[in-house]
Amino acid sequence: MKYREKIKGMVLPAVSLMLAVLASGAVMALCGYNPFEAFGAILTGAFKSKSGLAQTFTQATPLIFTGLAFTLAKKTTLINLGVEGQLLFGAMAAAVVGTIDLGLPGVIHLPLVLLCGMLAGGIFAALVGLLKVKFGSNEVIATIMLNEIAALLCSYLVNGPLKAEGAVSQTEKILKTAYIPKLVPKYQLTFAVFLAIAACILVKFFMERTVKGYEIRCVGMNGKAAETAGIPVGKMMVTAMLISGAIAGLAGGCHVAGVDHRFIENFSPGYGFDGIAVAALAGENPVGVIFAGIIFGALRSGAMVLNRTTSIPIDFINVIQALVVILVAAPLLVKEIISAGKRNKKKGEEKS
Amino acid sequence: MTGFLQNISFILVSTIVMSIPLVFAAVGGVFSVRSGIMALGLESMMMTGAFTAVVGSYFSGSPVIGFVCGMAGGMLIGILHGILSVRYKVNQVISGIGLNLLALAATTLLMQLLWNNRGNSPQVANIEGTAVIFSGIPIVGSVLGRLPVNAYVMLAVAGVSWYVLFQTRFGLRLRMSGENPKAAAAMGVRVHGVKYTAVAICGILAGFGGAFLSLNHMDMFVRDMTAGRGYIAVAVAILSRYNPAGVVLCALLFGFCDALQIHFQGGGIPTQLIQMLPYLATLLVLTFGVKHIHAPAGVGKYDDD
Repeated sequence: MKYREKIKGMVLPAVSLMLAVLASGAVMALCGYNPFEAFGAILTGAFKSKSGLAQTFTQATPLIFTGLAFTLAKKTTLINLGVEGQLLFGAMAAAVVGTIDLGLPGVIHLPLVLLCGMLAGGIFAALVGLLKVKFGSNEVIATIMLNEIAALLCSYLVNGPLKAEGAVSQTEKILKTAYIPKLVPKYQLTFAVFLAIAACILVKFFMERTVKGYEIRCVGMNGKAAETAGIPVGKMMVTAMLISGAIAGLAGGCHVAGVDHRFIENFSPGYGFDGIAVAALAGENPVGVIFAGIIFGALRSGAMVLNRTTSIPIDFINVIQALVVILVAAPLLVKEIISAGKRNKKKGEEKS
Repeated sequence: MTGFLQNISFILVSTIVMSIPLVFAAVGGVFSVRSGIMALGLESMMMTGAFTAVVGSYFSGSPVIGFVCGMAGGMLIGILHGILSVRYKVNQVISGIGLNLLALAATTLLMQLLWNNRGNSPQVANIEGTAVIFSGIPIVGSVLGRLPVNAYVMLAVAGVSWYVLFQTRFGLRLRMSGENPKAAAAMGVRVHGVKYTAVAICGILAGFGGAFLSLNHMDMFVRDMTAGRGYIAVAVAILSRYNPAGVVLCALLFGFCDALQIHFQGGGIPTQLIQMLPYLATLLVLTFGVKHIHAPAGVGKYDDD
C-alpha cells in the first residue's frame, strides 16, 4: 500500500517533466530545429562519454544541494527563495576562509572552510525565518530582497577589498589545503557530489527518525494543531530555515572549494532558483532530490554539448525547469491534459 | 545655492520617475489581491511587458505600439495566472514564482532567437516626451516640466483605480469575490468572471509598468531587467493596505531610495553598496511596516475549501 502511494506521488512530477520537454520540443521545432535530434544529442552528450558523465554529475551537485535546501524549508510551509543569496554568502565565506593560511592540514582546513560556508548561509536564512516569525514579514519578498543584497555585497567585495590582481572580478585563489579532492583526474567532478547525496540521506533520516524532524513535519502539515500539541512553531520554522540556508551555503562552499577555487563574480547561473524546479520534480522528497538533481544536471550538461555544435541556446533548459514548477503546482491541469490525450487516442483508434 | 536646488529637483524628478513602474505594477497587484488572487507573479508580468514592448517598438518603430504590445504581453501572463488559479486551483505562491522563472527564461531565450544576443536587445524607438506646458513656471516648472508624460498617466490610473475599486458596483463585487467568494456567488456575482477581469487588469497595468522600464528608463530590453521590482511592487501593494491611492505614496518612498541611489553613484561610496538601498528599504518596511495589515480573507483560497 505504501509503495503504491509512493509511485502515485511520482506520477505527477514525471508527467509534468514529460509535458515540459514536449512543450519545449514544440518550441524548438517552431524555431526550425529538429527536437528529436536535439534531445538525442543532449542524452548522448550527457551520458555517453566519460567527460559527459563527469559534467552531468558536476552540474548535478549544486542542483541537489539547492533542491534539498528548498525542500527542507518547504516542509514547514516556508518558501525559501533566498537559496541563491545564501549560496553566494556561503561561497564568499568559504573563499575568504580558504585564503587564510593558518598552517592547518587539509583534513581540518577543508571542513573548516565548508563549515564557514554553511554558517554564512544558515545565519542569513535564519534571519529571514526570525523576521517571518517575529514580524510576520512575507518570506518570499524578504528572501528575494536578500538575494539582491547578497549579489551586490559580493560584487562589492570582489571588485573592492577582496579583489585579486588582474582584470577579472575574483578573489585570490584559496590554498591547496582547502581543495575538495577530485574524483577523476582532469575533470571538474569532485567528492562534493557524495557530500550532496549524503546530505539528502541525512535530511531524510533527520525528518523521519528524529523528534525535531517530526516536529518540523507537524508544523508543515498543520501549524495550529502542532501549536496546540505544544510544538514551538516559530522555533521550528527558524530551525528549518537555518538548516535550509546551511545547505545552500554548503553548495556555495563546495563550488568554491571544488570547482573554481576562488569566488568569481556571477559564478552562479541561478543555481538557487534551479533548486525550486529540482524540489518540484522530486515531489519534495529528500531522496527524490538526488534523482531530480541528476536529471536536470544531465539536461544541462547535454545542452552544453549541444550548444557547442548548434546554436540552440542553453536557456531552453530553464524554460523546461520553469514549466515543471508550474505543472507540478497544477495537478488538475496535468490530469486534464492526460485525459485529453487519452480521448484523442481513443478517437484515433475508433477512426482506424 | 543653485547647485543645491538643482540637486533637490534632480532627486525629486528621479524619485517620481523611478516610482512610476512600481505604481503601475502595484495598482495592478491591488486589483489582483482584492479579487482574491495572490500577486507574486507581478515580476513575470512586468518582465514580459518590458520585453514585448521592446519587440513591438523594434518591429513597428513606434513606441506607442510598443506600449500597447507591453500591455498585451502583461495581460497574457495575467490571464494565464488567472486560469491557473481559478480553473486549476494551483498553489498561488508556487505558480507565481514559476511564472517569474518562466518569464526570465523565456525572454532570455527569445532574445537569443530574435537578436542572437543573450544580454540585451538592440536599441529601439523610445518615449522621451515631457509635459511641455509646465516648463514656463519657475522652480516648480523645473520639476514638473522634466517629468515624463507617464507621470500624469500614473496619477490618473491610480485615481481611476481607486474610484473603480471603492465607488463602483464592479469594485464592490470584485472586493466581495476576494473577501468571501461563496457569499458573493450566493448573491449572484459571477465570481470567476470578476477574477479573470481583475487579473487581466493586473496584467495590463504591470505590463505597462514593465514597458515603462524598457521604453522610458532605457531604450532596450536587458536580461532580468526588472531585477526584483515586481516583488518590491508586491511589498508596495501590501504597505498601501491594498489601496491604489496609498500605492502612490508608498511607491514614492521606494522611488526616493532609487533616486538617492542614482544620485550618489560615483560619489565616493561604492556603487554596489548604494544600489542596495531600495532592497534594504523593502526589507525594513516588510519588517516593521506590515505587521497589522491583512490581505482580503479569500486570498489564495478556493471555493471548495
